[in-house]
Amino acid sequence: MPFRLEKRPAPSRLMLYATPFGALALTMIAGALVFSLIGYDGLAAVQQIFITPLTSTFRWQDLAVKASPLIIIGVGLAVAYRANVWNIGAEGQYIVGGLTGTWVALATHGMTGIWILPAMVLAGMAGGMAYAAIPAFFKTRFNVNEILTSLMLTYASVQLVYYVVRGPWKDPMGMGFPQTRVFSEAARLPNMIPGTIVHWGVPVALLVALVVWFVMSRSVFGYRIKVVGAAPKAARYAGFSTNATIWLALLVSGGLAGLAGVLEVAGPFQRMVPGFPTNYGFTAIIVAFLARLHPIGVIFAAIVLAVTFVGGDLAQTTTGLPSAASGIFQAMLLFFLLAGDILVRYRVRRVSSQPAAGVRAAAEAQP
Amino acid sequence: MTLSRRNVLKIGGAAAALPLLGQKAFSQTEPLKVGFIYIGTINDNGWNYAHNQGRLYMEQELGDAVESVFVENVAEGPDCERVMRELVQAGCKLIFATSFGYGDYVIKIAQQFPDVKFEHATGYQRSENVATYNARFYEGRAVCGTLAGHLSKTGKAGYIGSFPIPEVVMGVNAFVLAARKVNPDFTITPVYISTWNDPAREADAARAMIDQGIDVIAQHTDGPAALQVAEERGIVGGFGQGADMSAFAPKAQLTSIIDNWGPHYAATAKAVIDGTWESKDSWPGLKEGEVVIGDYNESIPDDVVAAAEAVKNGQIDGSMHIFTGPINDHTGAEKVAAGVTLTDADLLSMDWYVEGVIPPA
Repeated sequence: MPFRLEKRPAPSRLMLYATPFGALALTMIAGALVFSLIGYDGLAAVQQIFITPLTSTFRWQDLAVKASPLIIIGVGLAVAYRANVWNIGAEGQYIVGGLTGTWVALATHGMTGIWILPAMVLAGMAGGMAYAAIPAFFKTRFNVNEILTSLMLTYASVQLVYYVVRGPWKDPMGMGFPQTRVFSEAARLPNMIPGTIVHWGVPVALLVALVVWFVMSRSVFGYRIKVVGAAPKAARYAGFSTNATIWLALLVSGGLAGLAGVLEVAGPFQRMVPGFPTNYGFTAIIVAFLARLHPIGVIFAAIVLAVTFVGGDLAQTTTGLPSAASGIFQAMLLFFLLAGDILVRYRVRRVSSQPAAGVRAAAEAQP
Repeated sequence: MTLSRRNVLKIGGAAAALPLLGQKAFSQTEPLKVGFIYIGTINDNGWNYAHNQGRLYMEQELGDAVESVFVENVAEGPDCERVMRELVQAGCKLIFATSFGYGDYVIKIAQQFPDVKFEHATGYQRSENVATYNARFYEGRAVCGTLAGHLSKTGKAGYIGSFPIPEVVMGVNAFVLAARKVNPDFTITPVYISTWNDPAREADAARAMIDQGIDVIAQHTDGPAALQVAEERGIVGGFGQGADMSAFAPKAQLTSIIDNWGPHYAATAKAVIDGTWESKDSWPGLKEGEVVIGDYNESIPDDVVAAAEAVKNGQIDGSMHIFTGPINDHTGAEKVAAGVTLTDADLLSMDWYVEGVIPPA
């Protein structure tokens, strides 16, 4: 190959923050082109997917509800990824959080009391943490790759949902349908604004992002996470334990994913159903990267992804776009973002076919 | 621009996006806008395909009086609530929600929009403006079971189901009851894959069961994956579910149960236009033509086809009901006395297996 990637000494800060916007623009351009080429109205498709969801107030509530679990999970993943801990199983931790929350809801069924919801939230976070503790244990004890363990545990958690809704937690009044009973009033997340579907999970998501941003930028904990991730050797000299950081990163991201899960089951779902796993945990990975692993950026990135979900369904009814379209746009977004990252961190150098000569020529060219 | 389905949709969609442009200027009365939500894609050649065919039939029958839009791949959760709300905002006055798991959300959204009519397929919850509809698939299962009883060499069938809900359980039971009228030792093994549409999982389940000695396969999932495996492995065969699937398994498809939703969709839309719509449960079957038995495979001997036709016609003229006792449950205990026929309510809450079913662990 006549080209070679060379690491830039210091990537431009401006470019680092500009790439997400560039990736978004490129996604829209490429999307319009691709869909025009295969016979759809490409421009209308882009407009439906990226613009229309923002244009009316009644859709903002959809965006808020769709974005809030993405924010909560995305913030947790941003912390873990900062520490170079690759938790890919947030979906599983989200599901287990939903399940442990459901457990409290079912155990307190028919009771009243304002303590029920907080208890569910705590149970959900604990569930997510416990599920993330498994990869943490294997990673720190046996050096098992956390990407594999956390990902595979996701599939196990989906089976767990199927098991409980068919067996022990099946709705006794549900005519045999595989779902739990509807939670009683005290176990349901109330709507924040009457007449809308905006529930209290939305402000919680924003609060989580703010708190984590504050902790990451102002505390020793945040500093430590960043140092371990960016310079593991320096971290060891500084006396930061790598293992403790791995544990922290997984517990924080797992706990937050569990929080998202319990808020989702207590809010929009209000009962556990086999359709509970909806890939928020996987989408949140795109969110975290699009946000440059910045907690406040996560808010905006989550809204962008929420827009593509809402817009994707809209585009089906208005321009007849297939349902796969929103997935294609999300994938392009991640692709352009990662490609952009490469170019920000590395520069492409033209080299002649004989590398030795090329290096010499380059050396001579230097004044 | 050809008048393909996509383009028709595009035009319909464009009109949908601009309700303010005053459609009244173009036509005397505003067409009824009908929305459909599907759990999978219309290209699944099964469940969702059949609903979409029904939608197209409705458009054809009612012409300018209706226009329709659909949304594919709508998950059974809060997402479907949002999609239905979008459809209402886009002007739909009648919405068909075509999967079981939409139920809670249909009820919820229907409360918010009392002037919109909702119809929920295979569901059981109704309200002022929510009706339910279904088809007596079990009648078709009885025909398939008769074929299986005659044709199977091992006397063992496999049944790929989504979830063990009454709808699915009654299909398993009808199938094996019919098969055991022919071969009293016939058994069936249901396997539940917890999804309506996952071709890879359906195929895996089919392979595993074939390895265990079944030679007939039936499925209550949305696509032709299990039939394709049957074709590949050269077993006695299987059945198209929802639509004719012979294109995928010309040898293996013995016959198919075709869901013919079109007449229901056309009649319902007509009722809404005429103002005669009311909330009810409709559950037609072979007699009304909502369930149709497809072509029989040429390889099936004439006397077996005749036996299957007899079961079909018996259910059409009412002389036969597959759930007439004596029926034992899977442990062998008598569940339905001789001469007694289960009521619709019994069927719709069916959570037990008849004799001959090997219940999943």
